[in-house]
Amino acid sequence: MEILVCIKQVPDDSVNIKMNPATNAPDLDIATPIVNAFDTYALEMATRLKEAIGDSTITVVSVGPDKAKDAIKTCLAVGASKGYVVKADATDTISTADALAKAVAKIEEAEGVKFDIIFCGKESTDCASGQVGTMLAEDLDVPVVTNLVDIEKIDAGISAKQETEEGYNIIEVAMPCVVTVTKPEYEPRYPTIKSKMAARKIPIGELEIGDVVAPAVTVVANAEPPKKAAGVKINEETLEESMAMALGMMRDAKVL
Amino acid sequence: MSAYGKVTPEIVEKFKEIAPGRVYVGEEINDDFTHDEMSIYGKAMPEAVVDAMTTEEVAAVVKICYENTIPVTARGAGTGLVGAAVPIAGGVVIGTTKMNKILEYDLNNFVVKIQPGVLLNDLAEDCVSRGLMYPPDPGEKFAAVGGNVATNAGGMRACKYGATRDYVRAMTVVLSNGDIAHFGSTVSKTSSGYSLVNLMIGSEGTLGIITELTLKVIPAPKEVISLVMPFEDLDSCISTVPLFKKNNLDPQALEFMERAIVEKSEKYVGKAVYPKNIDGVEAGAYLLVTFDGRDMDELEEIMEQASEIALENGAIDVIVADTPPKIKDVWAARSSFLEAIKAETNWKDGLELLDECDVVVPLDKIAPYVEYVYAVGKKMGLQVESFGHAGDGNLHIYVIGDDQISVEDFKAKADAFFDDIYPEATRVGGLVSGEHAIGSGKLKYLAEAEGERNMELMLGIKKVFDPKMILNPGKVCYKL
Repeated sequence: MEILVCIKQVPDDSVNIKMNPATNAPDLDIATPIVNAFDTYALEMATRLKEAIGDSTITVVSVGPDKAKDAIKTCLAVGASKGYVVKADATDTISTADALAKAVAKIEEAEGVKFDIIFCGKESTDCASGQVGTMLAEDLDVPVVTNLVDIEKIDAGISAKQETEEGYNIIEVAMPCVVTVTKPEYEPRYPTIKSKMAARKIPIGELEIGDVVAPAVTVVANAEPPKKAAGVKINEETLEESMAMALGMMRDAKVL
Repeated sequence: MSAYGKVTPEIVEKFKEIAPGRVYVGEEINDDFTHDEMSIYGKAMPEAVVDAMTTEEVAAVVKICYENTIPVTARGAGTGLVGAAVPIAGGVVIGTTKMNKILEYDLNNFVVKIQPGVLLNDLAEDCVSRGLMYPPDPGEKFAAVGGNVATNAGGMRACKYGATRDYVRAMTVVLSNGDIAHFGSTVSKTSSGYSLVNLMIGSEGTLGIITELTLKVIPAPKEVISLVMPFEDLDSCISTVPLFKKNNLDPQALEFMERAIVEKSEKYVGKAVYPKNIDGVEAGAYLLVTFDGRDMDELEEIMEQASEIALENGAIDVIVADTPPKIKDVWAARSSFLEAIKAETNWKDGLELLDECDVVVPLDKIAPYVEYVYAVGKKMGLQVESFGHAGDGNLHIYVIGDDQISVEDFKAKADAFFDDIYPEATRVGGLVSGEHAIGSGKLKYLAEAEGERNMELMLGIKKVFDPKMILNPGKVCYKL
C-alpha cells in the first residue's frame, strides 16, 4: 500500500509565545520548530498500519521553507521512508491544500505510484483552522474521514474509528481516500540511534509548485488575547458562609 | 543549652509594627508551617510566623528575637526533606515566600540579583526568556532559591555544571543579632580570606538568614538532546556511567533508574514513553542522558559516540528525544519519581510513612551499594525504592511503610535500615547527603560519619555566628 502523510512544521506549542512590539507579530524565535503534534499522531497511525499489513511505503510531504526539511528528517526516523518538501506561495488553507494536491500528482508521477491513503493531522497547533485535510480531499475528489483515533485495513478499503463528542463512529471507506487524525490512545514512537542514522542518508525531494490558487485569507492585524481578570478569593469564617457567598456572586453574575 | 524566651503578646505587637498584616499566631498559623515534605521527622508548631518582605523587616524581627533569646527559623517554600525548616524549638518562623522578586540582571558580569523567596521555576523560566540559564535544577522546581542555597541543593544538571554552591557569588545576610551583612561580590574569583559566602551556603539557616542573593548565570546552550538507554540489568547500566567522561563526553545530566520505578512514575504521569521490551529483550534498568551543545551537528556527533559506548557496554538500544516535547516527556517520568512514590504512601496519625536517604558514593560503588541497600531492605521486610544521579553518585533511597505498620514500628524499622546503610556508604567512601542536607533528620548520621572532632569544629563555627544559639536550633551540628 502507498501511504502519504502530510505534515506541517510549527513552533513548539509548549513555549509561551508573546507579541513582539517591534514587528507587531508573534515572536516565534524562542520556540523551536517541531512537527505539528497531530501530524506526529497521523504518522504513528500510518506506521502502525504499515506494520500491520506489511509491504507498504510511507512518504512524508510538507509545504514549507527549506527549514521544513528538518521536520521531514525527524519523520524519516520514525516510520517514513521517503520525504518531499514543497515550495509554493501558500499562506492559507485553500492555497496549502491546492499546493498539496498538485504535489500529490507530481510525487505520484516521479515515484510511479498511486497513493491509497493520505493521512493529515486534524489541525495544526499554530493556526488550528482544521481545514487542509478536507480541502485536499475535495481537490483530489476522494472521500475523507475526519478525527480518526484508529484505522484498520479491510477488503473494501479501510475501517476508520472516528472520535465524536458523544463517542465513536466506525466508518468504512473505499481507497483512495484522505483521513485526518486526532490524538489516539498511544504516543508516537521515539527514534532510535539506528533509525536516526539511517534517516540521515535518505535524500529529501524538492518540488516547486508555481501555480497555486491565490490565498483567500489576508492577515489584517495581530492582537494578543485579552488577559483574564484575576479571580476573587472567598475566605469566610465557615465553609457554609463561603458557599453562600460564592453562590450569591454567581447569581449576581447571572451565570446560575 | 540556653533556656529560650517566649513570644509574648508584647513581642507580637512589635512584630505587627514591623510587618503589618503579616504576623500570625496561634490558630492563625497554617499547619504547613509545622512540617516540610518529610513529616516523619516530626511536626512542630511555631509560636509566631512573620511573612517578611524586606531585609530590614527580617533584621528587625531577628533583633527582637536576639534580645529575648527566642528561636528563629527561616522558611522558604517548605519543600525540604530533612526537617530543616521545622521550628523544633518553637519560637518564630520567618517566611520568605513574599520576598519573591527578581531584582536585576547584570549581563556584563553574568549575574542576577534576586530575593530569596523567588521560586526556582520562576528564576529558571525568566532566565530562559532572556537566552540565559541558571544551571542548578533540583528536582523540586517549586522550591525557593533561598532554600536551595541554604541546603546547597544539586539537581540533574550538577553532573556537568555543579551544585547551587557553584552559582552563588554574593549575598545579604541577617546575622543572629539583627545586623545586616554582605558577603561575597559579583567577581568570579576570590582569594580573600575565609569564604563567608561558602560558609553560609548549606548552613540551613543556622548561621544567618539569607535575604538577597547574587547568582551566576550562563548563556543558555543552543541545543539539547536526551538519550534513553535501556539495559537488561542495573549492573551493566551503572558500569556504563564512567565511560562517557572517560571518552571526553560531558553529559549535562546522567540519571539511572530501574524499571519498576519508571513504570510507577509513568502510571502517575499518565504517559508511557520508556521502551520495556526491545525486540524480545526485557529492559531492567535505564540510563537517561542529556547533552547540550552549540548546534545540532555537534550534538549528533556526540549522540553517535555516546550511543556507541552504551551499545558496546550492553545497552539493548538507544532511544533519542530530539524535540522539546519528547525531551519534556522523557524527563517528566524522571522528575515525577518522588510524587509517584508519595501518591501511594500510607499516612498514620497525620504522618506519612516515608523516609529517605540521600547518600553520595563514588561512581564505581553505585551498583554494589544499591544491591546492598536492596538486600538490607528485603531482610527487614521494608519496601525500598531507589533512583539517582548516576553522573555524580548521588542516590535517593526511599523506604515506604505498608498499611499494616504502626508509626512507631515504621520509625524503628526505618532507623534500623538507615543505621545499616549509612555506615556502609561511609565505608565505601561516600558522604551522608548529596543535596538534601542534614536538618534534624540526618543529624545522627552526620555525627557518626564526621566524628566528634569535625562536629566540634562545626559547632564552634555555629557559636561564632550565633552565640545565643537562636538560629534554627537543633539542626546540622548539634542536637537539642
